[in-house]
Amino acid sequence: MEIAKKPLKVTVNGRPFELWIKPKTTLLQLLRNDLGLTGAKQSCMDNSCGACTVIVDQMAVKACSILALQVNGKDVTTVEGLASRDGKLHPLQQAFLEHHAFQCGFCTPGKLMSSKAMLDENPHPTEEDVRRDMEGNLCRCTGYNQYIEAIMEVAQKKEGPKW
Amino acid sequence: MVEYSVVGKPLPRVDGLAKLTGQAKYTTDLTLPNMVYGKLLRSPLPHAKIVSIDTSQAEKLPGVEAVITGKDTFGIRYAFVDTPNFPGEERPLAEDKVRFVGEGVAAVAAADPDIAEDALDLIEVEYDPLPAVFDPEEAMKDGAPQVHGEIARTTSCAWEDWGVARKGHSYTPVNNVAGRVLLSYGDIEKGFSEAEYIREDRFWSPATAHMAMEPHTIVASYDPFSGKLDVWLNHMAYEIKRYWLSKTLGIPNEKIRVHQTYVGGAFGGKAVIFDYEVVAGFLSRKIGRPVKIELTREEVFSSCRNSIRFDTTVKTGVKKDGTIVAQHVKVIVDAGAYKGSSSVAMYLSHAFSDACFDRRNVRHEGIAVYTNKNFGFAKRGHGAPQNRFAVDSQVDMICEDLGLDPVEFILKNLRKKGDVLPNGDKLLSYGLPKCVELVAGAIGWKEKRGKQRDRNRGVGIGVNGMFSGSGYWPFACAAIVRLNHNGTVTLMEGDVEFGQGPDTTYSQIAAEELGLPLEDVILVAGDSELCPLNYSNFLSGGMFVGGGAVYNAAHDLRVKILKVASEILKAKPDDLEMRNRSVFVKSKPEKPVTFGEILRYNIQKHLGDPLIGLGYKKAVPEIEFYPSLSRGTGRFTDAYGLAAATAEVEVDKETGRVKVLKICIADDCGYEINPAGIHGQMVSQAVMGMGDALLEEVIDEGGRVLNPNLVDYEIPRAFDIPEIVILNGSDPDPNGPFGGKEAGECARAAVIPAIANAIYDAVGVRIHRVPITPEKVLNALRSKEKEGKK
Repeated sequence: MEIAKKPLKVTVNGRPFELWIKPKTTLLQLLRNDLGLTGAKQSCMDNSCGACTVIVDQMAVKACSILALQVNGKDVTTVEGLASRDGKLHPLQQAFLEHHAFQCGFCTPGKLMSSKAMLDENPHPTEEDVRRDMEGNLCRCTGYNQYIEAIMEVAQKKEGPKW
Repeated sequence: MVEYSVVGKPLPRVDGLAKLTGQAKYTTDLTLPNMVYGKLLRSPLPHAKIVSIDTSQAEKLPGVEAVITGKDTFGIRYAFVDTPNFPGEERPLAEDKVRFVGEGVAAVAAADPDIAEDALDLIEVEYDPLPAVFDPEEAMKDGAPQVHGEIARTTSCAWEDWGVARKGHSYTPVNNVAGRVLLSYGDIEKGFSEAEYIREDRFWSPATAHMAMEPHTIVASYDPFSGKLDVWLNHMAYEIKRYWLSKTLGIPNEKIRVHQTYVGGAFGGKAVIFDYEVVAGFLSRKIGRPVKIELTREEVFSSCRNSIRFDTTVKTGVKKDGTIVAQHVKVIVDAGAYKGSSSVAMYLSHAFSDACFDRRNVRHEGIAVYTNKNFGFAKRGHGAPQNRFAVDSQVDMICEDLGLDPVEFILKNLRKKGDVLPNGDKLLSYGLPKCVELVAGAIGWKEKRGKQRDRNRGVGIGVNGMFSGSGYWPFACAAIVRLNHNGTVTLMEGDVEFGQGPDTTYSQIAAEELGLPLEDVILVAGDSELCPLNYSNFLSGGMFVGGGAVYNAAHDLRVKILKVASEILKAKPDDLEMRNRSVFVKSKPEKPVTFGEILRYNIQKHLGDPLIGLGYKKAVPEIEFYPSLSRGTGRFTDAYGLAAATAEVEVDKETGRVKVLKICIADDCGYEINPAGIHGQMVSQAVMGMGDALLEEVIDEGGRVLNPNLVDYEIPRAFDIPEIVILNGSDPDPNGPFGGKEAGECARAAVIPAIANAIYDAVGVRIHRVPITPEKVLNALRSKEKEGKK
């Protein structure tokens, strides 16, 4: 049975969109399938891994677990909107690059967005704060340390990688 | 020591910009024009006859393009082990019966995933349930339900296709036996008769999930006019997927192209061919449209491979001073419904470990048994984590009994550099003794071992060895390095980037050999149509074999460039130096000739020759096809990666909860081409090993996986990570590129016993079954208390 589509107004990475969508469309489906922004990843589909994390207004949100209609009128930032348009990396991206803070890279967009939201709210967290805050972002490759170090470097503007 | 400018440096990864900006394309990100979505209907029963399948309602659903069942794919067989004696028995869709919960029964292709899902609901399958068996020891008994009848030979087996002159034959498993291995050397009876102390212990390792972050996905696109199949998929070496797609679909190998994508993690779990991949190719050919199949997490847990369930009994005989004189290992593998890689894992559980201790007289026997459960495959160390947990736990017990120190015991029994193993492998590089000393020092072994029980704290140690590629045919790689007009080079090699870092390290190798900065290497990788032979990316052959081929190709180009430069500069090649896209006479660095000028000169003077370097490498040159799995004879590998780990834990006696305080790993990877990358591999293995030791188990009941998702299957998270110390115990291998060899798999297996042994040191309880959950610790503490009172 076809359910009527509903209108949605949303700003994504600074660009305004007006479209009609199925009410059951998740934010992640909207981004990946309707807008072609595949940076946010689909991995667990049950709100447990964080690979789909994007920022809605100021808050990190798991895009697989909310409906697209819930972001009506809001401002969404995805990993594609993190670097400046002239190709300059965000400090977090730069720190992730220098610290080898990723391997397969599949969960990386989610980690970048979670850590950005965290640092926007609390620019100088302790390492414990960061580890607690990043609990929602699973990673199987890195064992976490190199990206925690990358985030801490941005947070503290401390010295570069150890090796 | 030669000073290098590109290798040995922690340079940023070349896949970094793509992965950090969301531009990296994984198979799950792909959408092709006119693409449809496939899904598989999977069995809800562990063992049942299929009486009938009615697909008529599903076919009528608007948007459904095709519905197929085992009737359509009848007779298609495949398997990782497909030998004359043990022909492949896996199939894309069940035919007469289902053998495990999650086995594919039917598949649909539809305009969108929702319609495909709805269509599955409309397929009616009538099952006639059969008695099922879930325990390997039960399954071996007379009268147990038989998982397989005759395994009929429907085609030539892989070995025949690859040139082994032995005909395959059908066979019928007896008492559900899926495979056996027996490896022995020395005289085991004599060894035990000379022993002054003997003990026998039994240990269990469960199935654990690889849990790569990208769920298994394929996009298959068949073009009926050219007869060509294009695929984008989760894989670890395209040759193996291409061979099996060709074989199962009857499409010539050269008409199948595996395209480059990034792969979101693998850990061994994406190497083999899967049901949904054959089904996607089959559906795409049937309807002439691209088909995408993306598995759910539940499907990945219950229908793809997990690690292999080992039940290991170790009997070891030692002298009073701790010298090992005999070891008899008996393995029972609960293979599941199909044999998967169970025989290989049983063999490897011996072969990897044989580089660790000189045990003098050894017998290693294994039996794999069919049950009505999901089946297994390699996971990061393939048999080594299971074996090292058992063997190194027992080392700890022997030392306790004889009043010996485990670190001294291990050092006493390690092999030595230059040793020739009983199968003929020679240890040309061997950093394990150094690794053991490094991790013992870093954890504070002498000050802490046995001295912290008052605080419920303890330390433990484990070791491991690992191949750098094997004699598995056609374990070889080739690479091409092309000189470009502006003096940059283009490197073409087949390895796929699933996180382990070949894109970066191979580029570093080529850059170093040609005196170029890293950014001057343009990479074309992981595409079966553009890249030459590639078979290195499992059994940890990446660096040694794949990287070796790249080194050889870059060296070939170097020699060619120098030859031309010597003509231009009128100097001997030996007097020339190569730097910054140019060559100069060592004594006249102010007068260089650029790579661009060299290329132009060569094209003009030498019949248009564009200067291309070629390189190749075979993992074990002496082996024609396979070492003998059943007898353990024949060379296994050319270089062993080695690792040692120590751990410190604190146990809460009230709750049984184990807190890992510190993990130290020292690794011998020969040479750290990219130290930051190696560091990442080691931290990764520390954390994965900690998950294995304390948390991870795919739990099943009645053949059904009870925790098929990332909530109920727990892995370590950011806050659980202890202090981790990574140390470099490398001993450069004379045959590795710049000395490099295996790095990505070895250490995980050393971490598991290190933690188990640390728990014993802390509170005096020995847990024989990982994961070591609070419940198991608490029960063991209570039993110990009761015994104490008696």
